[in-house]
Parts: sequence; structure tokens; C-alpha cells
Amino acid sequence: MEKEQLKQQLKEQIIQFLNLTSVKPADIKDDEPLFGEGLGLDSIDSIELIVLLSREYGITIQDPKEGRKILVDINTMADYIILHQTK
Amino acid sequence: MYIHHHTCISPQQTFRNADVEALQENTDNKLKAKEPVYDGIPPGILRRMGKAVRMGIGAAIPIIKQQSTDGIIIGTANGGMEDCIKFLNQIIAYDEGMLTPGNFVQSTPNAIAAQMGLLDKNRGYNITHVHRGLAFENALLDAMLMIRENPGNHYLLGAVDEISDYNYNIDLLDGCYKNEKISNKALYTTSSEGTIAGEGAVMFLVNNDAENALAKINAIQTLHTTDETEVRHALRQFMQQHFAPGQKADMLLTGENGDNRLLKYYTAAESLFDDHTTVARFKHMCGEYPTASSVALWLACYPQPLPPHMIKKQGSAAAVRNIIIYNSYRGLQHSFIHIVITHKK
Repeated sequence: MEKEQLKQQLKEQIIQFLNLTSVKPADIKDDEPLFGEGLGLDSIDSIELIVLLSREYGITIQDPKEGRKILVDINTMADYIILHQTK
Repeated sequence: MYIHHHTCISPQQTFRNADVEALQENTDNKLKAKEPVYDGIPPGILRRMGKAVRMGIGAAIPIIKQQSTDGIIIGTANGGMEDCIKFLNQIIAYDEGMLTPGNFVQSTPNAIAAQMGLLDKNRGYNITHVHRGLAFENALLDAMLMIRENPGNHYLLGAVDEISDYNYNIDLLDGCYKNEKISNKALYTTSSEGTIAGEGAVMFLVNNDAENALAKINAIQTLHTTDETEVRHALRQFMQQHFAPGQKADMLLTGENGDNRLLKYYTAAESLFDDHTTVARFKHMCGEYPTASSVALWLACYPQPLPPHMIKKQGSAAAVRNIIIYNSYRGLQHSFIHIVITHKK
């Protein structure tokens, strides 16, 4: 899958998993922070995103420090998925 | 215990600009609540809430904005049932593996009172009663005891339950709901087993201050039995105990629900009242659910006379002051509540 296509799919999955009913994929910028400012996600959402990566891409994140580097924005998530996805 | 403020989210127009005169019709045996726009809930929190939590918080906000409370006392038989079953399905679908926390957090019955406490920064008494069809009655009894122990305290008292699609199907197979589709307008004229499902959230501000109160909860009694003569006997004793000599109930508000298996309990209760007493019903408005008696209490406190579609038998009482609510849940759990209306209807 092309990276741009993957990012679009990822945005749709984030909206679905986190029930962001008022957000459209186009509203999420690739380099916009997911947590705090930007999309404004919180710690419970981070667990939902880890589950998303596991279920949809077969990626298991064991180390919380590693998670902090991956779940920064759409770009960092997509880069990690391309390198580590198992399905 | 006195009621000072009350809100209700139900299948009828009961929340903001309440008008129960016009009956909203439904024909698919599920009376779903008319949910308002939830202005007071931050969007980030709202998106995670299941319907029960959303309705409960939505109904509570107008009250907690008006008066800070010393505690939150909620009755719910099932809490966030839809989220609960989603979570259970996840356990199966993902083989007890990686599960998301959202559904679990929202599904526990005490999530409703807990979210209210968090939103209101209320660190006081916070408890949820889950006694199936008597969950609200036990919450009400708890509030009465708390006020007796702590005169001057204010409590948020409420009840919430939701229709879950999964649970509706389980209850349908169990014979709780009618197999044929009916209109809620024809609930009492359809003689068959089962009823129609309902949901809602009702909140009250209660304390021991009689001044400017809407109503006084004079007494409450709960009973477990399948014997209608026992219900009749208990209700007679309840009235003898709590009514002054010669005093009569001006209205009997019953939870008759169109299930012909439960009619014997309501007939037994009505047989205790003479021409003085108006008999009214409410489940065609909200459907049947474990904490539906909270809607009856909201209606008892409603500032206008109750509409004709609620009246089963018009009594001769000049004014409605003493009201008895009798509700039966599945012919096993019964409750009597004596309310004295303190405002003018």
C-alpha cells in the first residue's frame, strides 16, 4: 500500500476507533500532534491506538517509551506501520 | 424528603420545554429516548459515553448547575448495557487478547454517578444501586436515610437505564416483550403477554427543606412476591400506616404495561381505591424498564394536571395532592411510593 493511501486509511481507522464523530479524515493533518494540542487525544486514547495497531496491522508495542515515539502524529504512525506491519 | 428540582429525558417531550400533553407514537416496541443536544458535556468526554451515561449526565447537568450537592445517588439496573455487551463480544472476538478500555469503562453501572462526580468535582457520597426493578426505589430510600442523618444536605437522586439491542433480543426470547408490533397508543388495549421496551434518565434534587418544594416523598415500601393478594394486603397496610385517618389517595399512578400476566397485580391494587381516586398510567409514554418508576415520580411532580391519555379512571377528588405510585417489575418486584404534592397543580 502506498504511504498516502495508508495515511488516509489510518485517519479513517482513528476516527472509527476513537468515535471522533465530528472529525473528518481531511481535518487531521499529517504532522498535527495527536495528543495535547492538535487532535487533543488523551491517555485512554493512546491505549485505543495501541489496540488499533495490534488488530489492524499486527504490531505489538511493549515499551511505553517506544509508544511515545510512534504515536506522535499520522506521519510517525504511518512510517512505523510500513516498517513493522505483519498483516 | 422534599423534591425541589426534577429533569427527565424520556421518549416524550420531557426535557426542556416539557409537554406531556401530546403523546409521541412509536410502533416498533422500543420507546427510545429523545436525546437532547448535550451542551454541558465537553466533546472529548461525550464521544466516549454510551447512551445510559450520556442521558444520565445530560439530565443531571441542569440540576448540578443550579445547586451544588453533597452526594450523588443513582439507581440503574443495567448501566451501560450496550457497551457491556460490546465488551463481552470483544472478549470472544479477540480471544481474551488485546481489548480496548472504552467500552469496559463506560459499561459499569457506577460509571454514570462517577462521571457526574468528576464533571461536578463532587467528592461527596457517590453510590449506585443496582437492585434490578427496585434500583431506583433503593436509591430513593438511601437518599431518605442520608437526609435523615444529614439534615440540610442536598442530594442528586436519579435513575437511568437504556435499551440495548442485544439485551432486547435476549429479553424478547425470555417473553418480556410482545411478539407482535404494537403502537404505544394501544398498549393497554392489546391483550397479550409481554410489553414494550423503554429507556430514560430522571434526576431529582432532594433535601429536607419544605419551603418552595415541588413534592414531599412521604413513604416508600418495596416487596418481592408473585402473589397479587399479598400486594393488595401490603398496599392496604402501607396506606393505613402513612395516611391520616379519613385521608384518601387522590391519584393512583400505576406501572400497568400491557402485559396481561401482570394485570392481576394492578387490578388488585386498584380494587383498594374508591370513586375519589383517579387512576392513571404512564408506561405507554416511557415503555417498560427496570427504573421506569422514576418517570412516574417525575410525572407526579409535573406542574400541570396530567393529560387525558394517562387517565384510566377519573376520580372525584377536587385536587391532586396525595399520590400513590404502584409499580411492578416483571410481577416479582413491587414498590409503593406515597407523594404529597406541595405546589399547586
